[in-house]
Amino acid sequence: MLINTGIPTKEQVLSVFPPAERLEKGPVAVIECFQRIPCNPCQTACRRGAIKPFEDISDLPVIDGDKCNGCGLCVSMCPGLAIMVVDMSYSKDKALVKLPYEFAPLPKEGDTVTALDREGKPVCDAEVIKVLNTAAMDKTPVVSLAVDKEFIYGVRHFGSAGVPPAPYNEVSSQPDDISIICRCNDIDIKQLHDLIAQGFTSIDEIKRISRLGMGPCQGRNCVPLVLAELSCAMGKNVSEISPGTYRPVTRSVSLAAIAAYSESKETLNE
Amino acid sequence: MYTYYIIKNSERGINLRIEAHPILDFKRGNPVSFTFDGVRVEACDNMTIAVALHAAGFKGISESMLKKRPRGLFCAIGNCSSCMMVVDGVPNVRTCLELCKDGMVVETQRGKGALI
Repeated sequence: MLINTGIPTKEQVLSVFPPAERLEKGPVAVIECFQRIPCNPCQTACRRGAIKPFEDISDLPVIDGDKCNGCGLCVSMCPGLAIMVVDMSYSKDKALVKLPYEFAPLPKEGDTVTALDREGKPVCDAEVIKVLNTAAMDKTPVVSLAVDKEFIYGVRHFGSAGVPPAPYNEVSSQPDDISIICRCNDIDIKQLHDLIAQGFTSIDEIKRISRLGMGPCQGRNCVPLVLAELSCAMGKNVSEISPGTYRPVTRSVSLAAIAAYSESKETLNE
Repeated sequence: MYTYYIIKNSERGINLRIEAHPILDFKRGNPVSFTFDGVRVEACDNMTIAVALHAAGFKGISESMLKKRPRGLFCAIGNCSSCMMVVDGVPNVRTCLELCKDGMVVETQRGKGALI
């Protein structure tokens, strides 16, 4: 699922690729932008007007295959590194894939690297044809790889040859019993759930029974977490639950500072 | 007993600092050194104490008040009070905000910190 993992499905990838006839004609940009966010550098970067003007800044870019010549200006402009250029006319059996690459060290031209797919799994070996890193690209170098034509729908990234990619593990978003809610007074989520089950259902009650929110951080970290837990437990919106009594923000002051202040007052009075 | 990860201070001597970054340039300050619980730590005068300790491999820099669970760098902006240490004899110093000075003495704070 794209929303959970950031990895688009095969259908989603195919939906943004230009048709095969256009790919055969020469280099063209492929924009894998699936989420509506207010962002338009690709549209303003294109000097040929190949990305259709946005009616709304959140519009998804739509590329005009007839106008795009695969120059790659938009590749380094996209803050999400969502754009690549595919050139099926590179040679008889190889295609050229231009990828944005914000990693160190940069490969050198002529290197052999391992091309990776969208999940980070190895696809094939690829030769580095060109590495572009000009000042105008603002530290988003574009690396051109020659890969077999059959792999153009798979290759999206690359790693050093011979280095196995780190395995992808889905991280559980479920807290375990010892997930800490209050860092200052050592309240974990199990204790909080027990308190809520006992009927302490407001921040002020929980604060008085457990000292949660009364440590040196003054509730900056725990109160939002408790509000979220109360909201889940009571089925209420967070905005309907009182965030408790806030007292003026204080911070520890050294006795020397207080003494110096009172001394300066005494001299004033004299 | 809790089965949380204890970040040990045994990784001392390593340097976790990123030297070359693909995007960012780092402006290092003047080199200074201070002691952390008697151990000499090399740092720069434009980095905070907590950051210098973290980069030197000292990840557990304080402990929680009741259960004595290890605490490391957490919010790094002076909000969470996880990094409070005794600096030059002054307790409750938020070391994620305090810049390194040459020769300062930094110690782990146990409990709430004694004022006198």
